[in-house]
Amino acid sequence: MATGDKLIQVRDLKKYYNKGAIKALDGVTVDIDRGDVMVVIGPSGSGKSTFLRSLNLMEQPTGGAIIFDGVDITKPKVPDASGKLVRVNIDQHRQKMGMVFQHFNLFPHMTILDNMTLAPIQVKHMNKAEAEKKALALLARVGLQDRAEAYPIQLSGGQKQRIAIVRALMMEPEVMLFDEPTSALDPEMVGEVLEVMKELAQEGMTMVVVTHEMGFAREVGSRVLFMADGKLLEQGTPDEIFGHPTHPRLQDFLSRVL
Amino acid sequence: MGNFIQLKNFEALLPYANMFKEGLIVTLLLAFFTVLLGFVLGLMLAVLRMSNFRPLLWLAHAFPRVFGFFERDKESGLLRDSGFLYHLGRFNPLSFLATAYVEVIRSTPVLVQISLIYYGVFSLLFDLPTFKIFGFISFNRFFPGVVALAMNSAAYLCEIIRSGLQSIDGGQTEAARSLGLTQMQNMRFIILPQAIKNILPAIANEFVTIIKESAITYVIGVQDIMAMVNSIRSATYIIMEPLLVATLLYFCICFPLSKLIAYIERRMSRGDRR
Repeated sequence: MATGDKLIQVRDLKKYYNKGAIKALDGVTVDIDRGDVMVVIGPSGSGKSTFLRSLNLMEQPTGGAIIFDGVDITKPKVPDASGKLVRVNIDQHRQKMGMVFQHFNLFPHMTILDNMTLAPIQVKHMNKAEAEKKALALLARVGLQDRAEAYPIQLSGGQKQRIAIVRALMMEPEVMLFDEPTSALDPEMVGEVLEVMKELAQEGMTMVVVTHEMGFAREVGSRVLFMADGKLLEQGTPDEIFGHPTHPRLQDFLSRVL
Repeated sequence: MGNFIQLKNFEALLPYANMFKEGLIVTLLLAFFTVLLGFVLGLMLAVLRMSNFRPLLWLAHAFPRVFGFFERDKESGLLRDSGFLYHLGRFNPLSFLATAYVEVIRSTPVLVQISLIYYGVFSLLFDLPTFKIFGFISFNRFFPGVVALAMNSAAYLCEIIRSGLQSIDGGQTEAARSLGLTQMQNMRFIILPQAIKNILPAIANEFVTIIKESAITYVIGVQDIMAMVNSIRSATYIIMEPLLVATLLYFCICFPLSKLIAYIERRMSRGDRR
């Protein structure tokens, strides 16, 4: 699964506010390989959400680089194969990076089916019948095929988040970004969402997951990053992070959450 | 107190019924065309205000070596996030002009604006044809009235449209953009369809407001309800009764209309508590 093929290279990523008085991200460098399930943990305010949201430029980083598929997407222009400067089209890159939000962000004025088919039809110019067929197949996978014509308001939180995941999958992304996908859910619905994410990981999807679910990190993660104060303090396999934490901040954090 | 509100005074107004009818038609047409023109202008203002036209940042991207300092700090190479140069780099002249227009209009009396437009623009700069619409609406009074009211209303409609668009949760835009939709596609498929529910009733309310405010155009000789009241008063020396008729006319239009809008607004928002 993990081939060592680098999908995203993050280099010295910085996000400052107030001329550096607040450092949400303070020089994060990490490689995300194809097939990685990278789980980001850390205390609140540690910058893990900012890190994730920077990867598809939902936040514009103050400094550093994010090289996705060989292109530094933080730059307005990059040289192409012949060395000519071309504009970086962030919309094109975002198509390949699915994102799942804490608060689902389904489109409330559209049915589930329309939620899922909008981007493939408008952005990828897929035809409607094909998009709907694909959407129904994905809905069946998460056990919601009978809700295709429902509106988001008619669904439970867990159902909404499963829809949000398959909506992102409709674009066939190369990587899925999860921003605390279970934090807004009632406890009894956390399991159904984690189950979908776990299946996705087992199929080899590259994932970056910011979460407080330590069980998920341990069981599904291929690598775990520990962040605090905007810095990447420790990274390793789940066994290393949870079994033999070395950084005192990580030891302290784990003693609180486990 | 002798001649204060008497039935015979109302009877004396009967021969002037047609003038009230014409005044009513003028008022309604004035309000209608004002909202129409005002909406187009207001939409343009809102687009300008919310535009992302930043020429200095564009320069910084096009010629990073020369103009890069508008966006990035030279020494550290980091993006600016505050300070004078940050704000200078993000300066949007279109938005600045539209905002200035809106603030000037909102901070000056409509009476002054109408006088300026009528005496300043249409009397000095343009010569309007003097034909009459329907035989009783003087175009060279009516048209400046519409333009002046529309220019005033556009400022308020701009703010209605802008706040309607901004009332949509930012997560919607994030979700749309994360799926690869462009800014325009996000506006068209996600933001506008949701915002229209907030915007339409507010525009209808602006229509009601203009029906009332249009009374001010009698100062430039638009023959609306209020102008009719004045000419009937000078013809008959009856003061209170024509005013009461005007009050009744305005109330009978505005009250049911605003109730209807409130009803439709409730209907539209039903079933989408989200």
